[in-house]
Amino acid sequence: MAAPTPYTYIQCPCSDVSTLSHPSDPNSPTGTEADEDDRTFDPRAPRSNYSLYPLEYLLYCEDCHQIRCPRCVAEEIVTYYCPNCLFEVPSSNLKSEGNRCTRSCFQCPVCIGPLAVTSVETKPDPRLLAPDNIAAPHSGPYALTCSYCHWSSTEVGIQFEKPNSIHAQLAKLRNGGTTRLTAKERKERRRDPAHRSATTEGEESGEQEDLDLETQFANLKAFYQNQLADPNSADSGLAALGDLGFSSPTSLSRIMSIYTGGSLQDKKAKSRVGAMREALEPDEGLQVANLDESAAIEQLQSEGHDGTACTAQRVDQPPHLGEEHLHGRGRFTSELRPIPYLLRTKRSKRCPICRHIISKPEAKVQTTRFRIRLVAGSYIPSIAIRPLSLSNGGGSASGAAAVPGALLDPLRPTHYLLTFKNPIFETIKVTLGAPSKTPGRFASKVTVLCPDFEIDANTDVWDEALKEGGGGGGGGGERDRERERRRRKREEGSQSNNNHNQLEVGKIWERGRNWVSIVVEVVPASLRVEAGDGPLREDEDVLEIPMFVRVEWEGEAGGDEVGSVPTRDRDTREKRELAYWCVLGLGRIRQS
Amino acid sequence: MSSRRPPRGEYIETDTGNKVARKATLVGTQNIMLGGKTVIQPEVMIRGDLIRTIQASSQSASGAAPNSTAVSIGRYCFLSRGCCLRPPGRLYKGAFTYMPLRIGDHVFVGAGSVVQAATVGSHVHIGAKVAVGEFAIIKDYVRILDGTVVPPNMVIPSFSIVAGQPARLIGEVPEGGHEAFELRDIYKTVGNNPQPAPS
Amino acid sequence: MSSKRHSILPPAPAGSKPPIHFSSSITIADSALLTGTHPIAIHSESVVHPRARLDSLAGRITVGRRCVVHERASLGAVVGTSGRITEAAVTLGDYVIVEVGAAIEAGETVIGEGTVVGVGARVGAGAVVGKHCTLTPHTEIAAGEVVPDFTVVYSNGMRRTDKRGAAELRNKGLARQIDVLRRMIPSNPAKFA
Repeated sequence: MAAPTPYTYIQCPCSDVSTLSHPSDPNSPTGTEADEDDRTFDPRAPRSNYSLYPLEYLLYCEDCHQIRCPRCVAEEIVTYYCPNCLFEVPSSNLKSEGNRCTRSCFQCPVCIGPLAVTSVETKPDPRLLAPDNIAAPHSGPYALTCSYCHWSSTEVGIQFEKPNSIHAQLAKLRNGGTTRLTAKERKERRRDPAHRSATTEGEESGEQEDLDLETQFANLKAFYQNQLADPNSADSGLAALGDLGFSSPTSLSRIMSIYTGGSLQDKKAKSRVGAMREALEPDEGLQVANLDESAAIEQLQSEGHDGTACTAQRVDQPPHLGEEHLHGRGRFTSELRPIPYLLRTKRSKRCPICRHIISKPEAKVQTTRFRIRLVAGSYIPSIAIRPLSLSNGGGSASGAAAVPGALLDPLRPTHYLLTFKNPIFETIKVTLGAPSKTPGRFASKVTVLCPDFEIDANTDVWDEALKEGGGGGGGGGERDRERERRRRKREEGSQSNNNHNQLEVGKIWERGRNWVSIVVEVVPASLRVEAGDGPLREDEDVLEIPMFVRVEWEGEAGGDEVGSVPTRDRDTREKRELAYWCVLGLGRIRQS
Repeated sequence: MSSRRPPRGEYIETDTGNKVARKATLVGTQNIMLGGKTVIQPEVMIRGDLIRTIQASSQSASGAAPNSTAVSIGRYCFLSRGCCLRPPGRLYKGAFTYMPLRIGDHVFVGAGSVVQAATVGSHVHIGAKVAVGEFAIIKDYVRILDGTVVPPNMVIPSFSIVAGQPARLIGEVPEGGHEAFELRDIYKTVGNNPQPAPS
Repeated sequence: MSSKRHSILPPAPAGSKPPIHFSSSITIADSALLTGTHPIAIHSESVVHPRARLDSLAGRITVGRRCVVHERASLGAVVGTSGRITEAAVTLGDYVIVEVGAAIEAGETVIGEGTVVGVGARVGAGAVVGKHCTLTPHTEIAAGEVVPDFTVVYSNGMRRTDKRGAAELRNKGLARQIDVLRRMIPSNPAKFA
């Protein structure tokens, strides 16, 4: 929660039940306002973590006139692509091939660095491969190697014949280099009577046949499908229980039909009731778990701790990718497999209330443009915090000028300069509300010296320059406003010139083209823990001020022109307001 | 602004607006291309001398003059104190060659970072003490946090935030965060006539 | 090729030119910094990049055959009490690469043959790094630590064993790289004599 430098987080209205139920109505804002005035937002509340965002993370719905956060927007995937080869993956492929790159993009199972295809064999003397001898082909076999931690797929016994389509080659290989059956081969083998008899023979001789994971699944699936399809296999003895138990094909298929929505179970089948039996032999998918761990213990003894995979490595492994058994898998680094890159997405975002799109990137992977990008930063004022040292008057302004990591002295009044910058093309009126004491066990005192002020419109820099130079340009209304703005600037300027370095209640500290700085006085709390109270909890020393910001402006009503009518005319202009909580994080208080 | 500074400032300011610190070490300057308005702080090192020794076959076939640019940097880049840019090198068809390092516009390189990428896009923020491995490809709007080690050959797609050793994706640049990559303002704050940052 | 711009470096402290033992086949950039009082030996075909720093104040520095010491790498010194330790050498075996900004502190520190010390890595005084090791960028090896042969130190101190068996291939590649560097870096061993 606590960032090192001063920060401002803004609360998204989605976490506030009252605003969500009546989306902001510009004409009658009083209803929600009253509720909010009742209570102070507590930045320390456990829920606050989920509703506070830096300004950059927030979007803005132009139709609802409300802030939208990453938690409340509805996302829609525009494009899937591999983050390594940057190729777009059509969503149809996604269904068949899964959500990982099926080209030759892999991550190292040890360190997650990118893997590259390299030739395993020591090349012939490089002296023979002079630059002119370009045609000299690299010859296999190939391996995937990590250029960061130097892991190589040869460590798990995997080599490739070709340097391309690694994914397809890898799908046929097990760790150790034994081949793995593809789905098609597996199907053929099931049909092949010769193989079947071989299986049963093996069983008769007492040794358990090793089914690999895919075969086991295929066998199980076939076995149960057979039972579902064949009602005669029903055990009539259990018929009475059939209606209740899940062991009956009828109830199973009824459940299935709930999810598939289709009429999987037609009426004539209803009469057939029976129980299913479980798989009993390898052919039906029975795989007795091998509880003999002596091999693993032996391996542990020989390879030691270095040979084992850590939790993070096991978590990074895609599920069911090549391991032979479910039981006792992934303990050793020799069982790790290259991780195909997880695909990434470009997503568009919709307002959760009005369903309008508020952010939409261009579909092409390589472009960074957006078709629609309504970010909160271009609608609501930004707030920059800077500690104010009265000695040098706070001349040059820079949001990040604070000494990072400096601790606040308890009980010593400190001043902060809050600079509000207006991004919109209208003059805005800002009203601030902050509790005089911060919530929590250690209440710091907060005084906003100027809670009520106006910020001039964000006019074009060049407009400004032209006007001040020639005085021409702009419609009558523009000029009127401009004049008024300058008058106000003069008034405030004369005041602030007279007593520039004095903090006066109700006075703006500094004003610029589209920004205003005000002063907040803070008396940090003492962190002395009273006897009987618990010790200082994590981040309890962070000084965070909740502040309610209300912004009012006159927006253009509908799409009619403005320039001809002066600001006095209320008919063509619509009063708008936006109110939200934000949190000013000032830093940590020194512990005495 | 109007006051003339002493002739020997800390920076050399070129016609195209580049501000190159006198205490920066640019080796092989004839192979370093600066797009303009780029700031190179003191103790920065750029290895322009590590040029490509094997030309791409298409180039030699067309008969064009061999392009010896080793490091090209776009506009409004900011190379912080003590960082180092050097072209990546590798074995290519049995011989060793360096390949050019291309950097786009508005790229910030933090203090003490070493960049050996093949390409760095535009609007990229590389933090302090970052090691970008050889032939890494960093696309536009990428933020690399302090102390990250980007392994060789890694591709970092647009709008990624990466950190760690080795680098892994830890977040995405939000829609409202694009403007933060702009380096026009910071450009004005350094040089022989530094201006205060606008608030 | 380009000696006009990097001549602005501050002159090395006068009177501290270390005795050198250079092989005739080495490549050492003009702007490399050699300081100290103990001998500095660089064996055949090794390359020292511009602005690499070799400080033999604490003890002898030996660079093996076909080593590459990159820019801003630092070998030796850092030992605060230089007078006390009589013998605080730094020894690089053959085919060692010390990458940009890496630091190898003095104090009987040994880097084994074929080892790569990554960008910004730091090897503490008296550490003994085995043969064919890889210290990934920003790795820290504590003073006095012993790193066995073929160790890869990665991800902030994790260790594993390099099983690629690519040492020979790597050395060949390094030889090619040195071939190229020799043509690119104007060598000026006479300056340090």
